[in-house]
Amino acid sequence: MTPLDELLLFSGLTLVLMLLLGRFSYAGKIATVFYAGQLLFLAKMADRIIDGSIVTFSLQVELFGLQMSWRFDALSWFFAVITLGAGLLSSWYASGEWGERFRRQGGNLWLLHVALAANVFSMLILLGSGDLLALFIGWELVSWASFLLMTVAGGRAIQAAMRYITYAMSGAMAILAGIVLLWSHAGGLQYGQIIDVIAQLSQAQVWLLVALFGSGFAVKMGLLPFHLWQAPAYAETPGPGAAFFGAISARMGLYAIILVLVQLIGLARLSELTIPFTFLDMRDLWAWIAVLTIILPTYTALRQTDARYLLAWHGIGQGGYMLLGVVLGDALGSAGGLLHVFNYATNQAVLFFAVFAVMFRTGTADLNKLGGLITRMPISFFAMLVGIIGLAGLPPMNGFVSKWFVYRSLMIEGEPLLFLGAIIGTLGTILSVYKLIHNTFLGQLRVEHVEVREAPWSMVAPMIILMLLIFATGVAPGLVLDWVALVQSAVGLPVVENTLGGVELTSGSLDMLWVVGVLFAGFGIGALLFYSGGRTRQVHQLDNYAGGHFLTAETRYHYSDNFYAGLMHLIRPWYRGSFVWLESTLGSLLGIAASLMQRLYGALHPSIYLLVTVVVTLTWVLL
Amino acid sequence: MSIQILLMELVLMPLVAFVVGLFLVLMLRRIGAKLQRRVGPPMMQPLYDIVKLYGKKTQISHGWMHDIGIIMAVGGYVAAETLLPVPGMDGIADKGGLVTLVYVMMIPSLGLALGVGQCANPNGSIGIARALTAMLAYDVPFVIVVFGVAWYFGTTNLVDIIAIQQAGGVAGWGATAMPLLAIAGLFALQGMLGKQPFEIYIAPAEIATGPMVEMSGKYLGGLFVMQCFQLYTAGVLYVSLFLGGGENWLFFLLKVFVVVAIPMTVAFLFPRYKTEQMIRLMWKWPVMIGLLGLAFVMH
Repeated sequence: MTPLDELLLFSGLTLVLMLLLGRFSYAGKIATVFYAGQLLFLAKMADRIIDGSIVTFSLQVELFGLQMSWRFDALSWFFAVITLGAGLLSSWYASGEWGERFRRQGGNLWLLHVALAANVFSMLILLGSGDLLALFIGWELVSWASFLLMTVAGGRAIQAAMRYITYAMSGAMAILAGIVLLWSHAGGLQYGQIIDVIAQLSQAQVWLLVALFGSGFAVKMGLLPFHLWQAPAYAETPGPGAAFFGAISARMGLYAIILVLVQLIGLARLSELTIPFTFLDMRDLWAWIAVLTIILPTYTALRQTDARYLLAWHGIGQGGYMLLGVVLGDALGSAGGLLHVFNYATNQAVLFFAVFAVMFRTGTADLNKLGGLITRMPISFFAMLVGIIGLAGLPPMNGFVSKWFVYRSLMIEGEPLLFLGAIIGTLGTILSVYKLIHNTFLGQLRVEHVEVREAPWSMVAPMIILMLLIFATGVAPGLVLDWVALVQSAVGLPVVENTLGGVELTSGSLDMLWVVGVLFAGFGIGALLFYSGGRTRQVHQLDNYAGGHFLTAETRYHYSDNFYAGLMHLIRPWYRGSFVWLESTLGSLLGIAASLMQRLYGALHPSIYLLVTVVVTLTWVLL
Repeated sequence: MSIQILLMELVLMPLVAFVVGLFLVLMLRRIGAKLQRRVGPPMMQPLYDIVKLYGKKTQISHGWMHDIGIIMAVGGYVAAETLLPVPGMDGIADKGGLVTLVYVMMIPSLGLALGVGQCANPNGSIGIARALTAMLAYDVPFVIVVFGVAWYFGTTNLVDIIAIQQAGGVAGWGATAMPLLAIAGLFALQGMLGKQPFEIYIAPAEIATGPMVEMSGKYLGGLFVMQCFQLYTAGVLYVSLFLGGGENWLFFLLKVFVVVAIPMTVAFLFPRYKTEQMIRLMWKWPVMIGLLGLAFVMH
């Protein structure tokens, strides 16, 4: 048994157990233990991954004369760590009071556990794929497992899930077309064969290939213009599912993009593909798609009034940083992109946990109906604070480091407009996440929330773990950068030479150990100054005034609606809803085509079909 | 460099920044007084103000985030000063660089925003919403400037950026090589300091000083200290990017005071822009000038 055999078997076992035991109240705890077990098996692989060797799966399947195999390299391993970490913490979150409540309110806890286990299992299979056929099968499994998890909540979630599966199937068709194209040239689908055959393909063929695979994978990643499905689908999924989706699910698209565009086709080849009538090449195009994916969804997030939707839209935007880093393709940029996969996963998971903790206690995620919960739910507040600092990419949290890498790479490569776009996205994120924390935890406490208590420990504990992780990997990014360097060497990217605190460059280094150390020393001085001043008197949270009037708790004055009014005066007309328009136009066109076909089918006499069929068959036989 | 010297620098740099900052505040108030034909405050007035505010009997706290917000506002700048080289002292400038400094400078704003948020005063929240919008406005030209400077000097290490400029004399200064970026930088500086015409987020007559509305005693004192640091940081950063940093303390301080005097003078001559006017202005002229400057620098 290789470690990969053990891992996949154990993961499959988790799924089977959930199928059998998922409806019992202890299922969440069992699942948590089993995800921890899977992580252990993954850890057992670590020394082989560090050596740079590949861990194979003993079982090989032959299908239509094509060999299918599975293996784990550093790239698979890196994504698997995040997948299992997200699975572990999500099921932990669901294992206690949250799951109880969910079931009492009529939710299908069995389905949730099964879908989560199925997601983890299918993602591991996808990450392990050793050839394009296995990749496609893994891809389909992941799509359907995601669909399953999305449907758990019912109602609006079903609509969102249907939308997702429509996008996913169209994407899968594109991928399948790409695979068929390659198969017709190579006669096989092993990665080695593919690399050889792509080297011989003409530019136009590679162009087509990139377009087919790229658009297929872009759907999962939520890249523009295929991003519309993602926010509702993720946001409507119940708590732990949303956190899991937010943390890792869409990154399977990035995994596949790295596999096909970087490993099989190669970034150098992408640069050779020019785009007609412009001075751009394919790589620039991807970089610009990444930057647009950063900007547009981030500013869509800024307008959300539901905390879950806000986070889900940011998830799409943050994917842009990862892609941008990877497409830049230098040691620094690709390290930043890959590091951001990890960092973002921790940030998004803790943010969703905090939002769903608030929902657990107050029953709403509507930002216009919350406020002032900081005194009632201090740990959740702190979790959200750590999460938003990370998501916005400010020191001392880990999100800063990965974005710093991407910025520095853009500066070194001399890409001012991409740089500007990336920063505009970050600034929008800062605005948006401040709105999130302000409207949830700061400001006026509503009368109906006076009795609210902190979320139970089963929900708080995963948040605390994530907070520690976010901070620790912010202070010592080298811990994760070591893995990132392994991934880079596995996929053939230049390898970053990192230190524990960041990176040393002649053109400007980063040492987070010092930066964070000095930052906290500064806070210490600030605290000394503060506490050396006069004694403070704490007033009650509801003791407030505005405009010279004392306000009672019955008067609602928490400022949350149209929070950035001044900005929106200027930029509201810029929200055109073009993508929604495009989507609905496509939908209508499809509807028209379908009804035309129906009319045709109904109008004609069956004997004419027979005639047509005979004529076509005869023509085919004769020619 | 031995660890003792480094630690001494880390202590001295914020201290010097604070003292210089006090004098910058004094200058600000004196310029205002001169323009309005007043006498202006005596030399030690800024210090007296801080001591008075910290010693006030009435100190209203709206909760622990309110307190921590003020600590972050001061502490963030204390940390930022160690990333900003001054004559004879580099601190940890080589371990962070320009990009890190820009982001560390956002920590005080974040602290202030969180602190104000807990005060639950709508005027405060409106002020913060406007301040963050203003940040979105002036940071766009600002990052164009940062990019241009980093590209021109080939590094984000402020120690090297200053050394390269000083090696070339006045002809080697950033302002000589990149005049357009230097102009765009001045625009951004004006916005960053939050002075007129860009002080819509304070707007005393309209939203009762916005973020400051619930700040009494040492809370306001903390913001006063933050302002000292803010003026110093912005001035020194501009001097380091465009005016060759400091060859010695005399010239260095002269440059810093001149640079900070420009926005102060402008501030007392202009009325206030509305938020959307500010964004439109910031995204139009300084961005256009900055991008043009960038085009010159990169080709």
